[in-house]
Amino acid sequence: MEELDLETADPNFKYELAKQPGGEKIMACFTCRTCTASCPITAVNERFNPLRIIRLALYGLKKEVLGSDFIWLCSSCYACQERCPQGVSITEIMTLLKNMAVKEGHAPPGIRAQLDLIKTHGRIYPLDDFDNKKRKKADLPPLPTSCAVMKDLFPED
Amino acid sequence: LTLSEITGVKGEAGDFEIEILRHPRYVDTEKCIGCGICAEKCPKQVHDPFNENLGKRKAVYVEYAQAVPLKYAIDQENCIYFDKGKCRACEKFCPKDAINFEDKEESLILQVGAIILAPGSMVFDPTRYPTYKHAKHPNVVTSMEFERILSATGPYQGHLKRPSDQKEPKKIAWLQCVGSRDLHHCDNSYCSSVCCMYSIKEAIVAKEHAEADIDCAIFFMDMRTHGKDFETYFNNAREKNNIRFVRARVPTVESLEGSEDLLIPYVNEKEEIIEEPFDMVVLSVGLEMAPEVVDLAQKLGVDLTEGQFCKTESFRPVRTSREGIYVCGAFNGPKDIPQSVVEASAAAAETSVLLRQARNTLTREKEISEEKDVMGLEPRIGVFVCHCGINIAGIVRVTEVAEYAKTLPHVAYVQENLFSCSQDALETLKLRISEYGLNRVVVAACSPRTHEPLFQETLINSGLNKYLFEMTNIRNQDSWVHQNDPDAATLKAKDLVRMAVAKVALLEPLLETTIEVNPRALVVGGGISGMIAAKSLADQGYNVSIVERSSSLGGQALTLFKTWKGEDVQQNLANLVESVKSHIHIDLHLSAELRAVEGFVGNFKTTLTTHDKEEVVRHGVTVIATGAKEFKPDEYHYGKDPRVVTHTELDWKFIANDPSLQEIQTAVFIQCVGSREPDRPYCSRVCCTHSIESALHLKEMNPTMNVYILYRDIRTYGEREYLYRKARLAGILFIPFSKDQKPEVRVENDSLEIGVVDHLLERKILLKADLLVLASAIIPYKDEKLSQLYKIPMNREGFFVEAHAKLAPSEFATEGVFLCGMAHYPKPIDESIAQALAAASRAATILSQKHVRASGLVSEIDPEHCVGCQGCLDVCPFGAINFFEDRHVCQVNRALCKGCGACAAACPSSSVQLMGSTSEQIYAQIHKALSG
Repeated sequence: MEELDLETADPNFKYELAKQPGGEKIMACFTCRTCTASCPITAVNERFNPLRIIRLALYGLKKEVLGSDFIWLCSSCYACQERCPQGVSITEIMTLLKNMAVKEGHAPPGIRAQLDLIKTHGRIYPLDDFDNKKRKKADLPPLPTSCAVMKDLFPED
Repeated sequence: LTLSEITGVKGEAGDFEIEILRHPRYVDTEKCIGCGICAEKCPKQVHDPFNENLGKRKAVYVEYAQAVPLKYAIDQENCIYFDKGKCRACEKFCPKDAINFEDKEESLILQVGAIILAPGSMVFDPTRYPTYKHAKHPNVVTSMEFERILSATGPYQGHLKRPSDQKEPKKIAWLQCVGSRDLHHCDNSYCSSVCCMYSIKEAIVAKEHAEADIDCAIFFMDMRTHGKDFETYFNNAREKNNIRFVRARVPTVESLEGSEDLLIPYVNEKEEIIEEPFDMVVLSVGLEMAPEVVDLAQKLGVDLTEGQFCKTESFRPVRTSREGIYVCGAFNGPKDIPQSVVEASAAAAETSVLLRQARNTLTREKEISEEKDVMGLEPRIGVFVCHCGINIAGIVRVTEVAEYAKTLPHVAYVQENLFSCSQDALETLKLRISEYGLNRVVVAACSPRTHEPLFQETLINSGLNKYLFEMTNIRNQDSWVHQNDPDAATLKAKDLVRMAVAKVALLEPLLETTIEVNPRALVVGGGISGMIAAKSLADQGYNVSIVERSSSLGGQALTLFKTWKGEDVQQNLANLVESVKSHIHIDLHLSAELRAVEGFVGNFKTTLTTHDKEEVVRHGVTVIATGAKEFKPDEYHYGKDPRVVTHTELDWKFIANDPSLQEIQTAVFIQCVGSREPDRPYCSRVCCTHSIESALHLKEMNPTMNVYILYRDIRTYGEREYLYRKARLAGILFIPFSKDQKPEVRVENDSLEIGVVDHLLERKILLKADLLVLASAIIPYKDEKLSQLYKIPMNREGFFVEAHAKLAPSEFATEGVFLCGMAHYPKPIDESIAQALAAASRAATILSQKHVRASGLVSEIDPEHCVGCQGCLDVCPFGAINFFEDRHVCQVNRALCKGCGACAAACPSSSVQLMGSTSEQIYAQIHKALSG
């Protein structure tokens, strides 16, 4: 059985999460596993287990949680959050963890590529003249192929 | 006052004025004899709320067959007359003219000194959980509905059936914590305390009632079987009854397409996703306060808790926030029957103290008729056969039984009664006794356990000795159990009546011994329970002697820091000790040891030694409050490393404000140390709450401290559950472990390490701790000597055994001896105090009388035939037999004898006879049983 290394854990991680909107009730979890039993992703891939993610976060295993590809599998269906008897906002916590993962450079390559696309084009699916030609044929107005406002939204880059 | 509600309360403790609004019943209770003809004739069928709407009743109804008073009422909302202006069928057919459509609402004013609130609770309505489909699917029922399904008086007469197709379910699932421990779908974040046990009971009863072997599964989060003998019940359910316990909260209940079955998805303890079909699902609904009760509390100005229960303090567990108003039962926090009964007696004790000046000011003297001498007279037997409404007459052909009774020897009169126990029937009984010169009476009805005293009272009023009476049970033991076979049931009723008549003819008048009561109580034990019991009795005006083995008062409470509600134990304890020491009615015997006990209820003589000085205390009652102690662990490095302590040792550090606690980086608690183990199977009840309380206190001292609690089931029952949530929110991490894989403690290079497996993550964890707290068991003193001195039984573990687990939790079967505190079972301070008050209340029922009467049903030894073999003495469980060496015979002490008959069975020379069940009388019954 694998050992959980508390030496490298960050005991403040749970308090850090609890300070952020959506994360306030993370520590209320009493491990009833309603979330796991409700999760449509767990139903197809048992390795995705919302309770385990919460539990690892409570132990302070920040790197393992943020570096895990599982947080990215959450489909944000809210079934877990709706059913949690302790009012833990599990879906919100997944979003929170995803944001933290990106900040700490843990996003998987596909997500990073999408992020770059949004930053440069304002869209995940960029448009070019070819698309506008097709739109014209269908009597649709053209759409902008670049998005200048993204520079204001991400000023530091 | 039924159908009544309180609309206002004025005044203060000792002098309240209560305004009451009495709603119309439309049936005159003075005239109604509960015959049920009105309901039979009423054309309007409505859902029966008593049977959880699974069955029907009429618009004129009694709630259930055993209702008190057994008087009908008209349900105005459903009555055709009130709706359409005509019908009045009930009025037409009522033989007593009891129906009164003109009945009006009325306001009443009551003058009282004290108020006791016992409004109870209601159950949670699970339609608020749409995913559980209670409203949509007939085979998803609440635990209350299932309770009615299992009941003989329920919609299916006790046959296990599911509502959709009336088929017997083969697989039933119970879902725990529906409407409890949930603050998302409802605001009930407390634990309802009772659901774990009732679900286990329902599963066992379902298995008993089922014709085939069925599969019962209970889905739970923490199994809370923290009551006396509950853990054994749980273990037996799992091991002997093969009930499955699945640790998983179920998120939804799905309908199975194309069938009436249900599908339950869950994650098992191996973290596998399972979807399992069931024929029926029971939702274990929790308790919650009715809005009307919350309103009432507001009207009375009584404070409520977060869960809308009545707010009380640990040291005043049945006093509300308003003086003179007391509380008991589920309104004072969710609880089971034993605890409710304890609180009921406790509230009575508190009012007895408040109203002590008024005691005996409103009593009326009873007139007693002179007893007729029947010796030597030919028996003239009256037989009264009861219909019990339709309870008996619906199955047994009562008229046939009555006609048969007329043919039996010595029977002078026979009568059928609709309800033999009704006031008018009792009047008739009295009349017939004198009219027909009856000198023996047989009532063929229900259980003598509940009704015999009522008929005996009537005999006394008619001038007959009350032992010239025999009751035979043709309801519980006949009509109820042979519902499907009226012929056999009628035959059996005749057999039973024939036997009773044969016995009653041989009965003789018996004498009751009158015993004078010494109005002093002896309380054994000077802990919180003993002191509270003593103080309550002393405050009621009785003299009390406290015997304490140690040199000071206080007991285990001396080691405790705070109660679960946060009150300071030492401060409250000091106040209590002071008030006991200075009480004029209390005398103390410290460092005392019990030597010998003689006597019986009303007249005990206890010899004790204090510092080698012998003393004798004469007292009327005894309260046993000897407590229990903390188990000193034999595992987890306890005693080998100073960092490993028990939970009361940690409390000592808190009390002493030990500065080393500030330095701790990591603290670990291990639960169930010495409890719930094969050789000590019970749960010590207080440890989960106590550890959580201590963990929270450590966190308050140092918020960055890492605190872990390793547990098997967290048992923070009732509103203690808030503490559990508070602890989690404070960052305390709870790690469950199983009995088969306990944590391992080792010391390596001076580092205290605790290895545990987190099953939820399937990972090993190594905790390096500066403090390891062991939640060690509470163990009884197993005081054999005390048990023998007062003839009070002990269970296998060494706790004393009460007279009845539910109905008499604070007294012994031995009359005049009472029980409270941890000598009964481990319990927290608030519950110990409630039970101490309850024991005082029960004891006062004897102390408040000048005399008590001992039953006439006792054994007698014929000295002519007794050979002095002392066989009877050896079998007597009450120590009621003495051997006289000079005459070489045994003799029964009538005051101590309980009439069990063990001596009579043991006597080789037949010189012992149990009065009221002599060999002759029993053989007469047996002969008649076989002669049918």
